Amino acid sequence: MSEHGCIHLSNFKAAKGTQPYKVIYAYFVACTSTEARKRKAFSCYCYICRCLGPRLHSCLHCIFFGCFVSGHIQEHAKSKKHFLAVELTYGMVMCFQCGDYIYDRELTDIANERDAKASKALGLPISYRSWEPSANEIELLRLHPRRRRVIENSTIGLRGLINLGNTCFMNCIVQALTHTPLLRDFFLADKHQCQFRDQPGSCLVCEVSRLFQEFYSGNKAPLILHRLLHMIWTHAHHLAGYEQQDAHEFFIATLNVLHRHCKGSSAHTHSSPEHCNCIIDQIFTGGLQSDVVCQACNGVSTTIDPFWDISLDLATDIPTSSSESNDSGQKSSESSQKSNEQEPTSLIDCLTRFTRPEHLGSSAKIKCSNCQSYQESTKQLTMKKLPVVASFHLKRFKHSSRFHKISTYVAFPEHLDMTPFMSHYRNMNNGHCGNTFNLLPDNRYSLFAVINHLGTLDGGHYTAFIRQQQNHWFKCDDHLITKANIQEVLDSEGYLLFYHKQFLEYE
Amino acid sequence: MLYKTSIEQSLILSGEKDRFKELLRTRLTECGWRDQIQMLCRQIVKERGVQNITADELIGEVTAKGRALVPDAVKKELLQKIKAHFSQDM
Ligand SMILES: [Zn+2]
Ligand SMILES: [Zn+2]
Ligand SMILES: [Zn+2]
Ligand SMILES: [Zn+2]
Ligand SMILES: [Zn+2]
Ligand SMILES: [Zn+2]
Repeated sequence: MSEHGCIHLSNFKAAKGTQPYKVIYAYFVACTSTEARKRKAFSCYCYICRCLGPRLHSCLHCIFFGCFVSGHIQEHAKSKKHFLAVELTYGMVMCFQCGDYIYDRELTDIANERDAKASKALGLPISYRSWEPSANEIELLRLHPRRRRVIENSTIGLRGLINLGNTCFMNCIVQALTHTPLLRDFFLADKHQCQFRDQPGSCLVCEVSRLFQEFYSGNKAPLILHRLLHMIWTHAHHLAGYEQQDAHEFFIATLNVLHRHCKGSSAHTHSSPEHCNCIIDQIFTGGLQSDVVCQACNGVSTTIDPFWDISLDLATDIPTSSSESNDSGQKSSESSQKSNEQEPTSLIDCLTRFTRPEHLGSSAKIKCSNCQSYQESTKQLTMKKLPVVASFHLKRFKHSSRFHKISTYVAFPEHLDMTPFMSHYRNMNNGHCGNTFNLLPDNRYSLFAVINHLGTLDGGHYTAFIRQQQNHWFKCDDHLITKANIQEVLDSEGYLLFYHKQFLEYE
Repeated sequence: MLYKTSIEQSLILSGEKDRFKELLRTRLTECGWRDQIQMLCRQIVKERGVQNITADELIGEVTAKGRALVPDAVKKELLQKIKAHFSQDM
């Protein structure tokens, strides 16, 4: 198989250019128009045996189609001395003088471009292409011939973290972040382009980038996160001090600072995750759709808000005794509605509640934009856009008049399909179904990290379970890393749950 | 043969053939089939030497194995979708 074309193809291109290939490709390989599709459907068959393939070829020199399997294109090539032909499924060029398919950079580029256009015309996602190193990457590979193979049972990527005095809240989040597959790929590919080159030591993204190098260096000694902690203190003042902090709060604050530093100091006015394409938002940002339906006119007002995580209620919001006052007045009717309801016992339960229509009550009338009057309404939240990493926060800490922790066991699955909680899924179930055949997006997720909180709120301790290499689980308890199994993970009292999308669409 | 021709033509005309093909391609990538076949080819090319084998010979060697390696779930899904497509149209 020749990698660099052949003399026969070069001669052909010199005489006739790439136009013949372009025409054949556009009409018979990747169609972008109905006109082309018609031609492909009605005139594309072997001129000798009238079969439609497989491996039908078109002569590159004249208008002739012949199948390869019965040798009809070969016969044509021989008798007419037309030695170049295009295979019509993939658009590969066959040279019968060389006796093989020929790779040609220029033609490959044409093919790729046409393929992308054809997919777009059909509303299909861009199809998978295997990675091809750029000239720069080839040079790097040549300069650094040492390869590190990650073998089964390798412990690479596992490192304990020293507790600096109540810093387990940070350690567990760092463990989750460093084992987020897509984030790891980003940092290990050295993709961060720093916006703070003139102020060394001030960029948190650089610090995290360095941390990834440490984690995956092969060294097993526990790490000390002094620098990271101080940077978080500087940039998220509310977390400063050596007291125990909430891991969830730390997680959100960290994402926020990372997102801000990705954009550089110039863009600090735009710190909302809307329409941001920094790596943090590419991985963690989803869109939550809120539909408020007016009870009088059935008018719907829809808003979509970005989110980094989903906080899920575990309590049923009932003031169990009269001594405990309700935390928000406007939710009072909702509480009474829910009062004879069971507490959620699983993540699915929580998500089902989270996405069901909720009556906002007579005390919470909203001005309807449709009928211009204050009316009772129902509100429903659904997932408009799913993030690559879905982070769930089970609200175990009740911030009512006194802090208390809800320690009920909430079951969560290893594999999670988010389809039932999607906006379009609900719309589909509410009547019109549309075309059943569609490349519906795949919404399956798998668990890759769980954060647990043990003990009471102030005297407690955080640990993390993290997944490594597809199906190995480890428990990270500060500097101690021990092997775990999936059952232990699923049996644990989860506080933060991290799921990674199984299949990613190409953009 | 005539029947087969018209079905295939209608699939091409509607663009559905490309959609099915894309779905199949996606599934085969997801389930690791693509990687398996790539490994297989790599192994054969390595054994014979890249100068001593043509694409056609390689296809001949991996086709049967490749077909056998396609997971039943993938075949089933595709068959179901094709059936659904025609029951909807007719
Ligand atoms: Zn010809
Ligand atoms: Zn033929
Ligand atoms: Zn040649
Ligand atoms: Zn930086
Ligand atoms: Zn951002
Ligand atoms: Zn209204």
